[in-house]
Amino acid sequence: MKRFTCSGCSLLCDDIIVQSDGLFISEVIGACLKGKERFDLVSAKNRIISPLIRKDGELKEASWDEAIKKAIEIIKNSSIPLLYGFSNVSCEAQDAGIKLAQKIDGFIDSNASICQGKIFNKAKSLGINLTTITEIINKGDLIILWGANPAETVPRLLNKVLFSRGKFRMTGREIKTLVIVDPIKTASFRVMGVRDLPLIIEPNKDIDLIRMLKEECCTANSIPSQGVAGIDKNDLKRLLLHLTGAENGVIILGQGVIQPHPDYDLVEELLELLQMINKRQEKGRISLLIMGGHFNMAGFDHVALSAYGVSGHLEFKHNQMVKTEDTLVSKIEKEDFDSSIIVGTDPISHLPHSLSSKIAKKPLILIDNHSTATSHIADVVLPTAITGIESGGLAYRLDQVPIELNKLLNPPNNLPSDEELLNQLHGLLNKGGSE
Amino acid sequence: MEFILNSMRKIDNDQAKEHAFGTEQSLEENLAICFINPKDFEKLKLVSSLQLKISNEEKYVIVKVEKDDNIPEGMVAMPVSIWSNRLSVVQNNELQTKNIVVNVEATHEPIMKFKEIIQELLVKK
Repeated sequence: MKRFTCSGCSLLCDDIIVQSDGLFISEVIGACLKGKERFDLVSAKNRIISPLIRKDGELKEASWDEAIKKAIEIIKNSSIPLLYGFSNVSCEAQDAGIKLAQKIDGFIDSNASICQGKIFNKAKSLGINLTTITEIINKGDLIILWGANPAETVPRLLNKVLFSRGKFRMTGREIKTLVIVDPIKTASFRVMGVRDLPLIIEPNKDIDLIRMLKEECCTANSIPSQGVAGIDKNDLKRLLLHLTGAENGVIILGQGVIQPHPDYDLVEELLELLQMINKRQEKGRISLLIMGGHFNMAGFDHVALSAYGVSGHLEFKHNQMVKTEDTLVSKIEKEDFDSSIIVGTDPISHLPHSLSSKIAKKPLILIDNHSTATSHIADVVLPTAITGIESGGLAYRLDQVPIELNKLLNPPNNLPSDEELLNQLHGLLNKGGSE
Repeated sequence: MEFILNSMRKIDNDQAKEHAFGTEQSLEENLAICFINPKDFEKLKLVSSLQLKISNEEKYVIVKVEKDDNIPEGMVAMPVSIWSNRLSVVQNNELQTKNIVVNVEATHEPIMKFKEIIQELLVKK
């Protein structure tokens, strides 16, 4: 039995007990449903353990030599490749992906850019500090989930930040207030107690609530008697009291707040509210935590920042980084790419059809460990070891804390890690494309 | 009838899990699905043998529909999947996966199959 870090989601729980003889995992204790699934992935029914190549319209098993040759051929025939994914791989693999992008003059981006990375960059530009899980456990007295449903995305987050006893919060749950702002009564509402504040907001009306709170915090002194955005006046008063009276509050932001709107930027307005509250706060502060799904969603920005001084997407021309106004979405929308290398993600499922259909049209190399909608479309599928179980490496937890992941088992068929495979492609391209 | 579509992560309707562990049948059962308020279920004159056709300017999908008290009236919620993303849109270079205006109607047509969607994409290759 040993203590092990789980790579089932971006919480990277380091308190999982695993029993293994190095060949099989016989017991996993303490993991949530997502964590359990991560360990089960080792022997999943739809695990890919041999390379696949599309021949006559059908994906067929191929040798590694054949598959690598085909991948190199696609890369060499491409002048503007798109590299995307990288949130389900280690930081070392992210670094190898960036180096490959540089070598082949590609545009590289991670899932974070269409997810929580958007909040991260805005918070950074506004100078807002992010908090850590430990800080919330030790000091937090107010937890606000805004457009976030951790019960179904990061299942143990609430166990850790809401129910645990911290150094300065020895009474634990009893003195912590949970506020949830969401148009849907999600599974996260089930943990709420009598002193918590469930706020079912009308869909697409978050902006009205934020603007009212901004006004109340700074200038006016009256809440509309009819309430705002479907939230009743008394609940709004309670929310204001919590926001301005908390010693150590945290707003946990989820996917619900990053939706675009033609007339305003919801995240920016929400972060401005946070700044206003902190200015007005006399005894405490409100900080921010950004929820991410994939286990290393936060890592890519750190790697890109360390290597090139830029967080988010990178574009290379003549093996040099160039400034770009483009984003992943604009690149795909304009079809400004002629092939794609997808690493550990499933854009055919998670991007709008208008974009996924454009990815599907061009040659596609997929590096992943199990079947997805993208694997059904790919021209070459290169399977890899499962990071955090069959290979190690660094990952950044959702609160931007680096955590080392360890290897527990050898991968089937001696599958390479994502890092090894990306480095192999890079090495072969250096040698002109053949071994 | 006009509704607002919200796609959301649901642990019991998770695309990564279905792709890794499921079959094509379980994929369709758990992802080609939407949830609406019971009052809307009645307004749409739905019965268990009918499906819901959800459409916007982008595309349409036909999915199974279930009642859910937690979904507000006027909203249709779908788990994030290849089905829901046929209706998600790009706005100012950003993805919009929630608060999408859609039309919904009851239909006898069968749910859209995974293979059908993949085939539509492969044709373009």
